[in-house]
Amino acid sequence: MKGEKQSNRLLVFCKISLNLIFVFLIIHISGSKASAHKVNIFAYIEGDTVFTESYFNDGRKCIDSKVEVFDNTGDKLLEGLTNKDGEFSFKSPGKIDLRLVLTAGMGHKAQYEIKADEFSDSEEEDKEHTSLQPLEEDRIDKRQKEGKQTGHNETLTVDMKQMQSMIEASLDKKLKPLLKLIAKSQQNRVSFSEVVGGIGYILGIMGIILYFKAKKDKNG
Amino acid sequence: MHISEGVLSAPVLITGAALTATAVGFGLKKMDYDRIPQVAILSSVFFVASLIHIPIGPASTHLIMNGLTGLLLGLSAFPAILVGLILQAILFQFGGITTLGINTFNMAFPALICFYLFRNGIRHKNPVVISVCAFGSGFTAVFLSSIFVAASLIFSEESFINIAKLVVIAHLPVMIIEGIFTASCIGFLKKVRPEIIGG
Repeated sequence: MKGEKQSNRLLVFCKISLNLIFVFLIIHISGSKASAHKVNIFAYIEGDTVFTESYFNDGRKCIDSKVEVFDNTGDKLLEGLTNKDGEFSFKSPGKIDLRLVLTAGMGHKAQYEIKADEFSDSEEEDKEHTSLQPLEEDRIDKRQKEGKQTGHNETLTVDMKQMQSMIEASLDKKLKPLLKLIAKSQQNRVSFSEVVGGIGYILGIMGIILYFKAKKDKNG
Repeated sequence: MHISEGVLSAPVLITGAALTATAVGFGLKKMDYDRIPQVAILSSVFFVASLIHIPIGPASTHLIMNGLTGLLLGLSAFPAILVGLILQAILFQFGGITTLGINTFNMAFPALICFYLFRNGIRHKNPVVISVCAFGSGFTAVFLSSIFVAASLIFSEESFINIAKLVVIAHLPVMIIEGIFTASCIGFLKKVRPEIIGG
């Protein structure tokens, strides 16, 4: 009698677990982004500006949330609030490791790290170039003069440098959406296998507890 | 409702962990052999519920299902919710490992309160009383959890009233939906498996 009752229970249990998985499948397939309570921040670099975007796992943007920027020694460099699209950007303080901490209220917090080598090598040069921009013509004149004095090779290398920075600038522009995509995809999203895996873990834990309880009952 | 890593100070984390450890100990001790599968199911429900996001209201919220868990499990809600939260933290990065204690307490203690408040109500003969009590349980559990989350944040946010208002208002849709869901669940169980509810 007891055995029958137990197998009955087991049957009901299996049915309910199957239903659970089914319900989740429906939610998953129906395209409503089944996601939840986690806040994300990611950042990408363009030239000497760091762009950050913050959003909840369901895609909702974090508005007016505080973003703090720390260097590798833990000193706060600057802070600011995200705009209505969850974005916040700042001039990079140089080629150092940065840690961005987002506080989105109600106990939500996330961070994102930018390594020093993610900043492009020619950043310093970029700055030089931008500051020298209005003097471009003077510079070319000067360079031509210098070229005449020191020979042809120098002109070539300087021009190469200029070209390199131009290429880098246009690459930055073209790659921006890609970088954004990559940074965003690095954030964890809930996958179906993880959910099923989680339910599996719970069943496994149940099995272990049942096993030990059954042993105890037999012995006792 | 999941408090992230690095938001709370050590005393709050330690208090939460100690309270949870004690309650989980009692919960495991009180768990009957027959009820282990039920605990596992509700743990799974809790685990999956937080993936169902509610697109209404001012903030990003999701179902919690601690009212239903508490109502059916009593003290065993503590181990059930702890297991659910551990898996959510590891697999989905909701909350965090250091905040497991306080997060479990914030969600499981309201569940326990609802169990004592409404357990007699759902054994009543009148189906209307049952529905009202089940709704009350789903609603109250989320409400109390919001208050507890706000209380945990006292030391890191400016004022309790402000943060409490924010959390409660954000979770108002969740409270109503969980109330309805809990009521329909209990009604269904009463029909097909009355022995789970007892009475």
